[in-house]
Amino acid sequence: MTESLADAFAARAARDPAAPALLWAGSTVTYGELDALRARAAAGLAELGLDPGVPVGILGKKSPEAIALVLACLGDRRPFLLPSIELAPDTLDALFAQAGASHVLSPSTGGGEAPLVARPVERGDGDGPGLPASAEGPEGVAFMLTTSGSTGLPKIVPLSPAGVWRFTDWAAAQFGIGPGTTVLNYAPLNFDLCLLDIWSTLKAGGCVAMVDQDRGTNGAYLVDLLAANEVNVIQAVPMLYRLLIDATREDGTRFPAAAHVMSTGDKIPASSLEQLPELFPNARFFNIYGCTETNDSLMYEFDLTGGAPVNIPVGSPLPGVIALMVSPEGEFVDGAGTGELVVWTPFQTRGYLTAELNAGKFVTYPAPDGDGDGGGDADGGGGEKIFFRTGDIVRRHDDGSMTLEGRADFYVKVRGVRVSTQVVEQAIMEHPEVIEVAVVAVPDELAGSRLHALVRKEEGGKLNSLKLRQHCAGRLARTEMPSSIEVVTEPLPKTPTGKIDRKRCLPRQERTTSKNG
Amino acid sequence: MDDTTKIKTFIVEEFMPDVPVEDLESDYDLLEGGVVDSLGLLKVVAWLETEFDIGVDDAELGPESFRTVDQIKAFVDQARAANA
Repeated sequence: MTESLADAFAARAARDPAAPALLWAGSTVTYGELDALRARAAAGLAELGLDPGVPVGILGKKSPEAIALVLACLGDRRPFLLPSIELAPDTLDALFAQAGASHVLSPSTGGGEAPLVARPVERGDGDGPGLPASAEGPEGVAFMLTTSGSTGLPKIVPLSPAGVWRFTDWAAAQFGIGPGTTVLNYAPLNFDLCLLDIWSTLKAGGCVAMVDQDRGTNGAYLVDLLAANEVNVIQAVPMLYRLLIDATREDGTRFPAAAHVMSTGDKIPASSLEQLPELFPNARFFNIYGCTETNDSLMYEFDLTGGAPVNIPVGSPLPGVIALMVSPEGEFVDGAGTGELVVWTPFQTRGYLTAELNAGKFVTYPAPDGDGDGGGDADGGGGEKIFFRTGDIVRRHDDGSMTLEGRADFYVKVRGVRVSTQVVEQAIMEHPEVIEVAVVAVPDELAGSRLHALVRKEEGGKLNSLKLRQHCAGRLARTEMPSSIEVVTEPLPKTPTGKIDRKRCLPRQERTTSKNG
Repeated sequence: MDDTTKIKTFIVEEFMPDVPVEDLESDYDLLEGGVVDSLGLLKVVAWLETEFDIGVDDAELGPESFRTVDQIKAFVDQARAANA
C-alpha cells in the first residue's frame, strides 16, 4: 500500500468531519468542509480529462480553496508545480513549460460555478523534457517546488510522495502535532516550510491557523491571530518574531499556548532571540536548518535561560540525516575546522528537474557506517548516497559543535583578501542597538569589491556609523571593515520570503548606476 | 572655524554624514576604523589642496600620514610652512 498524504487526510475527514482543519479569515473550515472543497476541485480536475501522471501547475494565493486544489492533485497522483505567485509572468510561463505542465490551475474565487480556472500551457520547441517516465510511484514526483532563485530562473525541485511522507511523519512526532493542536502557517503556500505547517498538520489531524499573505507584515494582525487562536506550534522566518516583539511592546501581550517555537530560513538576531522566552513563556525554542532540496536537515534547541548565544550552533542532524563537512579541496573534514556542509536526508529530492543543473550541486559519496537509516533510501541503496552541497560554510569547534560561517557565495574579494560579508554582518549585529544589518559588496575599480553596510537601529537610538566603527575595530580585520555604513531606522528591504533583500541594500547611487561616483 | 574643525567637518560630511562633528576625536584612527581608505584619501587630498591652497607631492601620499585629524592638521601646517 502506498502511504499517501491524500489518503491520510481523507481518513481524518471520514473519522472526524467536524474537527477544525483550517482557521482562515476569522472562521473555521472543518475537515469535512475542506474535504468537500477538495472533492469540488477534484471534479474540476477530472473535467480536464488529463492522462494519468501528466503534471499541472498550481498558481494561487494561499486560501482553503488553494489547499483543496493541492489535495485534489495529491489524490489524483498528479505531479504539480507550485511556484511563487510573485514571480514575473514570463518566469512562470518558462517554469510551467519546463515542468511539462499541461494546464495552470487556479482556485476559483468569488463562489462562481466553476470549481477551478484552468489555462492551457503553451509549449515551445526549446522547452524542457518534462517529467521522466519514473515520475510515478512512491519514489516518483508529487510536489514540485522551486528554489528561491537568487540568480536566473528558479530551479524546479521535485519531491517524492515517499520523501514527503517521511518528512511529515518526523515533523508531526517531533512537534507533537495531532488532533487538538493548532499550528501557525506563516509562509506562502509555495514554500517548503508548508510541508511542516500545513501538510504535516492536515495529515496528523491538527488545525492550521493560516496567515493571510497580504497582511504578513502587519504586526497587530499577527498578534491578534496568535492570541485569538491559541496557537501551539509556530515555525517562521526571523521576521515574524521581530514583528511580534515590536507589536507587543506597548500592551505586553503574551502567547502562553505556544509549546514549540521554531526559527528557520535565516539567522535570528540575538536581539530578537533573547526576547522570545518572555513572549512565549511556555515554549521550547528551536533553530531549524534546511534547504528546499533536502528539507529540514539539522536542528538546535536553544537554552535561553542565560540569554541568547552569539553564535547559534546549527545543531545535530535529524534522525536518518547524514551531515558531512567538505573542504574547498574536496577533502572530508572530520575534526575541528571549516568546510562546506554537505547533507543527505530521507526527505530530499533526487535532483533538480533539469538534470544539467545537478552538476556540482548533487555529489555521490560513500555513506559513513551506522547512519541510522530512518527510512528507505531514495537513491536505491548500496554503499553510496547522493548528497546535496548546501553552499553553506560551517565551522566545527573543538567540542564538536558546528556553527554557520556563511554562504560559500557570500565570500567576496576585498583588496585581494577573501572576506565573508556574513562575518561582517555578525560583528555589527553584536552591537546591542542594532536590529538588523545587511553587508553587501559594491564593485570597486581599486579594491575589486568594497563593503557597504546598511544598519537598522532602534527609533531614537544614538547609534551612528562612527560608534559602529569603534565597535567593529576589535572584531574585524581592516579588509573586513565596511567602506561605507548607512544607519537607518526603517526596516531593511525584504524578499517576499521575509529574508533581507541584499540586492536592494546597495548604497543609493549603486541601485541605479553601476559606476562608483 | 579653526583648521581642525574644518578638517573634521569635511571628513564627517564626506564619509560619515550621520555623525555629529563633535563626536569625531582628533586622534581617532580613521584608517583603522575604515573611514578613509585609499580611494577616500584621494578625496581628502584634493580637498586639502583647494581648501588650504597647498600643493601635495604625490610621493608624500600614503594613508599612514593621514591616520588622524591631528596628523592631517600637522600635514597642512608643514605644507604651509614649506610654501612660505
